[in-house]
Amino acid sequence: MNSMDHPEKRGLPRSRRYGDRFVEALLFAAAITSILAMVLIFYFLSFESFLAFREVGVFDMLLGQKWHPAGEVFGMAPIIAGSVLITTIALFINILVGVPLAIYLSELAGRRSREVLKPAIELLAGVPSIVYGFLGVLILVVYLERSFGMLTGRSILAGSILLGIMFIPALTTICEDALRAVPKEFKEGSLALGATRWQTVRRVTLPAASSGIIAAVILNVGRIIGETMAALLVVGNVARLPSPIFDAFDRGAIFTSVIAGEMGEVAHGSIHYHSLFAVGFVLLAIVTVLNISADLVRAAIQKRFGGY
Amino acid sequence: MRKIRPAPLASIVVALFLLTSSLVCLVIQPDPIPLVSFWMGGLFLDLVLISASALTLRQDVSPGGRALWTRGRVLPLAADLSYLLAVILLVFFGLVGPGLELEFLGLSAVFTYAIVLPFLVFLASFLAIKDSINLLYGYSSRGREVLVFSMVRLSAVFTLILLGGIISVILFRGIGAISWEFLTQPHFRLGTEGGISTCIQGTFWLVMGAMLISAPLGIGAAIYLNEYSRHSGLKRVVTIAVGCLNGVPSVVYGLFGLAFLVATFGLSLLAGSIILGLMNLPTIILTSQEALKSVPNSLREGSVALGASRWQTVRKVVIPSALPGVLTGLIIGVARAAGETAPIMWTAVTFSATPVQMYYGIVPDVTQPVNNLCYHLLNLIYFLGAWDVEEKAWGTALVLLALVLSINMVAIFVRNHYRKKISW
Repeated sequence: MNSMDHPEKRGLPRSRRYGDRFVEALLFAAAITSILAMVLIFYFLSFESFLAFREVGVFDMLLGQKWHPAGEVFGMAPIIAGSVLITTIALFINILVGVPLAIYLSELAGRRSREVLKPAIELLAGVPSIVYGFLGVLILVVYLERSFGMLTGRSILAGSILLGIMFIPALTTICEDALRAVPKEFKEGSLALGATRWQTVRRVTLPAASSGIIAAVILNVGRIIGETMAALLVVGNVARLPSPIFDAFDRGAIFTSVIAGEMGEVAHGSIHYHSLFAVGFVLLAIVTVLNISADLVRAAIQKRFGGY
Repeated sequence: MRKIRPAPLASIVVALFLLTSSLVCLVIQPDPIPLVSFWMGGLFLDLVLISASALTLRQDVSPGGRALWTRGRVLPLAADLSYLLAVILLVFFGLVGPGLELEFLGLSAVFTYAIVLPFLVFLASFLAIKDSINLLYGYSSRGREVLVFSMVRLSAVFTLILLGGIISVILFRGIGAISWEFLTQPHFRLGTEGGISTCIQGTFWLVMGAMLISAPLGIGAAIYLNEYSRHSGLKRVVTIAVGCLNGVPSVVYGLFGLAFLVATFGLSLLAGSIILGLMNLPTIILTSQEALKSVPNSLREGSVALGASRWQTVRKVVIPSALPGVLTGLIIGVARAAGETAPIMWTAVTFSATPVQMYYGIVPDVTQPVNNLCYHLLNLIYFLGAWDVEEKAWGTALVLLALVLSINMVAIFVRNHYRKKISW
């Protein structure tokens, strides 16, 4: 391969040599576009939110107990509380179905059921979020309202259920890859010792795949907090601290629903406009940290305990 | 050969009936629950059967094994049985009866009889199944395996029901709205009448624009990373950036477009295409890289040995071999771009009924905003309470879902078709 690095030594015609250089430069430009895009996104979000942070104060903004745009009070505590509550419940539903499904696909399913389930999961992953939101408004919200005698079914619970269900395919796909990467010898060794298949899964396969599974869960946390349309339509969009803090039956708001719900009506350049960018900036920071830490966690667990 | 015990088997059958019927009642909530007496009878029967088989189990197990009734087994069994008994007594004495309304912990919800009773029965029948399976297999690890794996199988059933449910609900409710006029006319009177032709056009051009931007950039980046890059440092930074870009929430893309592009281009097809293209970039880079990685090195070496330059090798050998994988990634990108709402909400769309302006009949006017299926559906959802748009909304959702799912199916088909065909 060494000679490929120095085309000039290999007597290629001059025109082709420069053509190759030109193509390489183009490809290089394409490769660094994503770095450029990431830098630009961070730059524009911090630039636009800077004004809000300066006007309101960083601590008042992040920890303030009230989000009341009409009174120019912008505290993100209610939004953060809503996001934490929604993410927790949604993640519970997500893991409850997603991980067993991955186990089924990688350990139990025969050829036939795999051929049905794999495309089904991929299709489910492709359902647009606005369609989930639409079904959420017309079916889930109505169901919750009737079942639990709520003032309105638009609630943190509705958002959690919807988001939890939405991201099952994403979790399952990554978990299945992690489970499949565990070498056959491990499982066969365990089975040969007389363990049942479930004992093998629990004591051998799952621990060996744990780094991948934990990384998948962290990535999914990022996806859940960042999901917009479905959340916007069902959470109720009332940015107020739930009154026992764990009251999932109350209306609430999360980062994305506040931004998407209020950006349409806000005056360009007002303090409210910049505050919404600040909310977006905090969201971006959280999700980016989660994404990078998913990678680091995977590497750390693999280094410490081995695994796949 | 192990003797099959009839009592646990019978109690499993009874409990399965309780489980399914209580689940159905949880979902549809018929007001005066017609099944209460059945449920109570079933629970009582289970209670008797489980106790009886627990008491006779001792005789079936061969002596010399480990102690059967350890504390870790007796206590859960006793707890489960007393829970069953408690449910029966609560209903028998009317503590859980019609008119019950529970409120607790300050939650803003009322738990009525129609929810509480099926829930209690559901839980009881689940516990009964767990204990019966344990008893059936004499508390061996095989019993636990049967129990856990049947729950694992349920998750697969749940997924299929979910997909089937989403598709069939939208199909049945939306099919009535679909007609030739619906697909070929613009909407009027705030979407209560007319069709969605402008949305279909807008979606088409937005997706085309997005792919024009993301396909060359994404495939180029993947080729550079996989075939050219010599600095592992740069490769690592790009990989991290792609990972981050992949995780950036769609609403943040929308904010970015609003701050960055709308200031320059205004609310326009161009701004929306750039944003959607950027959003698609990581998907396309990752899938293309995967496809390029799967091309074996021997092919590259063979080409280089024949005197081909690097670009010739890539163009004539690597890309043709990786094409199916790259194509799959592109098609998935099309489906994603067609289904996104948040990134274009403030950058490219209006609820307009004017068709896209065309130059020379084929080039759209990129400086004008367009309408879009997702955005149209969002507006109809907002109008739901105020105007009679529900049927149109179902129709729009059906068109959107059919569009996105069929594109995804094409991607799955392409991938499976070539996976079978290619062998190195």
